[in-house]
Amino acid sequence: MKTYHDIASDGGSRILEQVSAQQERLTARLSSVRRIVAIASGKGGVGKSTLTAMLAAALGQQSCRVGILDADLNGPSMAHMMGVRRHVPIPANGSVSPALAANDVAVMSMDMFLPADSTPLLWRAPSQQNAFTWRSMVEMSALRELLSDTDWGKLDVLLIDLPPGSDRIQNLADLLPDLSGVIIVTTPAAVAQMVVSRSITLATDVAGLAVIGLVENMTSFACPVCSHQQRLFPAAPDTRSLAEEHDLAYLGSIPFDSQLARQLDHGRCFVSTSPDSPASRAIFSVARSVHTRLNL
Amino acid sequence: MGLSETHGPFDGTLSIVYECPVCSHRIAMLTNRAETQMVRSLGVKIGGRQTEAEPMETLRSSLAVPRDGEPEQAASRSKCPFTGVVSEAFAAPETPEFEWMPEAKARIEAIPPFIREMVQQNVEEYARQHGYRRIDEAVMDEVKGALGM
Repeated sequence: MKTYHDIASDGGSRILEQVSAQQERLTARLSSVRRIVAIASGKGGVGKSTLTAMLAAALGQQSCRVGILDADLNGPSMAHMMGVRRHVPIPANGSVSPALAANDVAVMSMDMFLPADSTPLLWRAPSQQNAFTWRSMVEMSALRELLSDTDWGKLDVLLIDLPPGSDRIQNLADLLPDLSGVIIVTTPAAVAQMVVSRSITLATDVAGLAVIGLVENMTSFACPVCSHQQRLFPAAPDTRSLAEEHDLAYLGSIPFDSQLARQLDHGRCFVSTSPDSPASRAIFSVARSVHTRLNL
Repeated sequence: MGLSETHGPFDGTLSIVYECPVCSHRIAMLTNRAETQMVRSLGVKIGGRQTEAEPMETLRSSLAVPRDGEPEQAASRSKCPFTGVVSEAFAAPETPEFEWMPEAKARIEAIPPFIREMVQQNVEEYARQHGYRRIDEAVMDEVKGALGM
C-alpha cells in the first residue's frame, strides 16, 4: 500500500532544485566581487542614496573598481543621481550590462526597467488586491536577479543602497550570506537616531552582520561664501555617543550642501566637480576610512 | 484519465478537467489563486525548467508596465499533465472571464458604490451558472427577474 509520502511530489516542477540553482547562479556571479557592503539606516530621508552615490565616486577616484546596486525597487533614484537614467540593459550572453557612470562606477537599478519616471513599480498579477501576501517575495526574486544577472565584472566593492526599513537589512542578509558588512547612516535628529539604534541592534544581534561603521549626514550647513559651518540640529544628541553605545566605528560626518543636492538632481558627480568643498572633503574622509576598514 | 478541457485562468484561478476514456467519468482540478501567485513569485517555472533562465527573467516578465519589447514569460514543458497545463495557461496573458457590454457596464456603474461590487458578483455568478460569457442588457434583465429586483 502506498502512502501519501510515496506519491507526493511537486509534479515535476522540482521547485527546490530551481531555488538552489538560483542561489548557485548568484554565488557564481558575485565570486568576482571582493567586498559587498550594504548602505542602510532603517530611517528614510537620511541620505543613504546620496552617501552611496558619493562614496562610490570617491572610492572610484581612489582607483577602486566600484559597483552600485539600487535595492530600493519602489523608489529607485540611483540611476538618475549617477546620470545614467537612460541606460537600457540589453541581455546578452546570460547577463545584462550595468550602466557605467563617472569614475567607471557600474550601476544597476530598477529605474532602468521602467518606461517612465512616473511609472510605479507594479507586478503582474490577476489582482493587486491582497498583493501584500506575495509582493515582498517577488521583490526578493527581482533583487536576486539584479544581483545575479548583472555582468559586474571584477569589482573591489559592490555597494547596495537599501530602502528604508530595518527589515531590509535582515532580508539582504538572508539573500547574501557573504555580505561583508553594513554602513549605517543617520542624521543628528533624535528621532532618526532612535530608529537607527534599533536597526544597528537588528543588524548585529539578529542578522549577525558586521557593521563597518556609522556615518552622520546633514551634520551642519556650510555657508557657500565663507564655508562657516552651522549645526542643523543644535540640540541634537551626539552621534559619536550612539556609535560608542553600540561599539561601532564612527566613520565621519557630512555637512549639508545645497550644491551637492543640485548636482545629484542633474546626475553630476559632485566630488569630481567640487572636490574642495567641505562636503566633498568629508566624503573623501569617509571613503578613506571605508577603504582601510575593508582592506581594499 | 486524459485532459478534457480547461477553463481560465480567470481572476488567477484555472480549472482543468480530465476524463476517463472508458467510462467518461470526469474529475476537475483547480488551482488556488494565492498559492499559484506565491510559487510564481519565487521566480521558478511551474512544471520544471528545461532551459537556463534568461537574464532578469522574472523581473522583466513580471512587470505590470514594462519597457517596450520586454518578453512574456515562456511556458515550461512538463511531463506532468497538471503542472504542464498550469504552466502553459499562466504563461499567456489572462483574458477576462466575462465580456461586459458597454450598456450593461453603464447600468452597473449607476449602482451606488457600496453595493456595486456585490451586485456585479451576483450578475457574474448568474452568467457563470447559465453559461453566458457575454453580459449585456438582456442578461441584466434576466438577473433582475430571477432575483425579483
